[in-house]
Amino acid sequence: MDPRVDKVAQVLVNYSVEVKPGDLVWIRVVDPLAEPLALDVYRHVLMARGHAVFSMAPTGADYVFYKYASDAQLDWLNPLAMWMMERADVMIALDAASNTRALSNIDPARIARARRASAPLTKMYMERQASGALRWTLTRYPTQAAAQDAEMSLSEYEEFVYGACMVHLDDPVAYWRAKSAEQQRLVDWLKGKDRITVKGEHIDLTLSIRDRVFINADGKKNFPDGEIFTGPVEDSVSGWVRFTYPAIYGGREVDGVELWFEDGRVVKATATKGQDYLLSVLDTDPGARILGEFAIGTNEAIQRFTRNILFDEKIGGTVHMAVGAGYPDTGSRNESAIHWDMICDMRSGAEIHVDGVLFYKDGQFKV
Amino acid sequence: MDQRIDRVAEILVNYSTEVRQGDLVMIHLYEPIAEPLGLALYRHVLAAGGNAIFRMAPTGADYIFYRYASDDQIDYLDPMFHWLMANIDVRLAVRAPVNTKALTSIDPARVSRFQKSQAPITATFMERQASGALRWSLTQFPTQAAAQDAEMSLSEYEEFVYGACMVHLDDPVAYWRAKSAEQQRLVDWLKGKDRITVKGEHIDLTLSIRDRVFINADGKHNFPDGEIFTGPVEDSVSGWVRFTYPAIYGGREVDGVELTFEDGRVIQASAKKGQDFLNATLDTDAGSRYLGEFAIGTNEAIQRFTRNILFDEKIGGTVHMAVGAGYPNTGSVNKSAIHWDMICDMRSGGEIWVDGVLFYQNGEFKV
Repeated sequence: MDPRVDKVAQVLVNYSVEVKPGDLVWIRVVDPLAEPLALDVYRHVLMARGHAVFSMAPTGADYVFYKYASDAQLDWLNPLAMWMMERADVMIALDAASNTRALSNIDPARIARARRASAPLTKMYMERQASGALRWTLTRYPTQAAAQDAEMSLSEYEEFVYGACMVHLDDPVAYWRAKSAEQQRLVDWLKGKDRITVKGEHIDLTLSIRDRVFINADGKKNFPDGEIFTGPVEDSVSGWVRFTYPAIYGGREVDGVELWFEDGRVVKATATKGQDYLLSVLDTDPGARILGEFAIGTNEAIQRFTRNILFDEKIGGTVHMAVGAGYPDTGSRNESAIHWDMICDMRSGAEIHVDGVLFYKDGQFKV
Repeated sequence: MDQRIDRVAEILVNYSTEVRQGDLVMIHLYEPIAEPLGLALYRHVLAAGGNAIFRMAPTGADYIFYRYASDDQIDYLDPMFHWLMANIDVRLAVRAPVNTKALTSIDPARVSRFQKSQAPITATFMERQASGALRWSLTQFPTQAAAQDAEMSLSEYEEFVYGACMVHLDDPVAYWRAKSAEQQRLVDWLKGKDRITVKGEHIDLTLSIRDRVFINADGKHNFPDGEIFTGPVEDSVSGWVRFTYPAIYGGREVDGVELTFEDGRVIQASAKKGQDFLNATLDTDAGSRYLGEFAIGTNEAIQRFTRNILFDEKIGGTVHMAVGAGYPNTGSVNKSAIHWDMICDMRSGGEIWVDGVLFYQNGEFKV
């Protein structure tokens, strides 16, 4: 047994979702490859005196579904998932990629149709997590497929993932509590502020966060974690940004994206590769050209781009922005079917000023 | 893909359980190692218009549960499994052992306590399957662990399993329909009969089947299949039998079992190996010294003992009997916490007479 896996499980159960005696804990194993982590999570849930149930499907079941399902089957809402979503006190999602390109040949319209059918499930999830009735967390178990996307060996990738989780430390929970406190200080400082100016080699952007809320992403809902994020005032964004990492959406990669904003709207978009795809996604709906999220990644152990947004958006020393839907708990009102995160490196002299005060420089907070 | 797996899936979906448009189908994989069959079942369920939900847990979760669960946790009724049993139209269950001895060091009292706490699930299953509201079938996916118990390589064991399923034939469904018709003829012939005498090198036994029903096991509930079975009149069994194969119960093997019956009750029991365990099990409760089942195995492709009752009890040319609980649908009223099948070879001159007519000789039916 890998002790790092056990420590991740321990942090998830005892810090991220804090399983209590009698909790009904729904362990959703996205791929059987995550079995070692699932077993450790199970053990820690049992030791915390929770009641655990598993949901799990064979690797490739999603492909079989999208390939063979009739329209009626695509429109079917899984009643067991709905029943569990109404009742679970805790949901722990363990993702593990066996093949990140397995759905490449599936018509995206079929995937979108199935996603629409599961809207009541998403709604139930959003409601219960917003009210606090459902605590949840998501992590990713390192696999060959993810290592391949990251251009690493599995051993290197495991070092990377567990390093970002800080489970090499004696007491990772203490680390995440301290991290949470530090980020809370920043989030508190940002309360009541308005004007943000971001300037650097790759960026020259202004936006307003007036009456918007920054969220402290401290290892509760994502693990590993490390970011603070908000939804900017929709029509306030103006200026230019060149994203320094490939922008990935729906499994497709667009390189060298540059966006120009005017009154909150993307008025010009270019890319060195994949520009047609970029433009078609930006034209999905009216909200798709508006920023739904502005965030600062704070995980110093994540320094490499690995083609996995759970890690990439947290790279310490970067900012990311998402065109499309915003999170209502930030105050964002932008609605869209898309949410596309794009990442810009700030470590070569870039600065963030907030209401005229230097807040962030060269990837470091200055307040 | 192994075509044999696909054909097993096709038979289970279209012959054994006849999945129809809109059916809610649980694909219950006992271990993720059965994934290839799980995917094939999924495809056929979708093709038949059914909606499928997978039930599966990580390999070894049962060990973790028994090792770490508190009494409260053992007594907790799995709400997800209960919901499934109460709502599904079809259950497709796939056994696929990864390690048949994994629970050896677990206290059997914890296992039976758990079985007791989950009794409402079993009750729901029994009730709904008896009323016809729930159709079900159980099969086995060949694994190394099962091959090891059978003392074969995995390749040999696969040949054995798929041979017993008859999926090497051009039209296995036609085979199973014909098999069903032939067994139905025997079951019909046995209707209204009374006195059964079984005589041979290893057996000299009489019993009554008056007002009891023989069931035609034709690939619907078990796959592969091949037996006809009943519950003998409880106090009618008298004589002697020496079981020619090891008798296995709760993972323990007892060799050379001989039983002597008087007025239905086992009055003497001996074994070459494991006699203490044999006697302890026979003393479980009031019903555990009475026969709950008398059956004739009819699968001619199963000629070897493989330490797996799903196959062993169907060996063509054998009879088997179970001490303990009988099946109510045979008319049996014997109740017990145990049901222990033991198998006796009839191929060296064994005979079965029914009301004075030679019914079976040397492993062949004579009517």
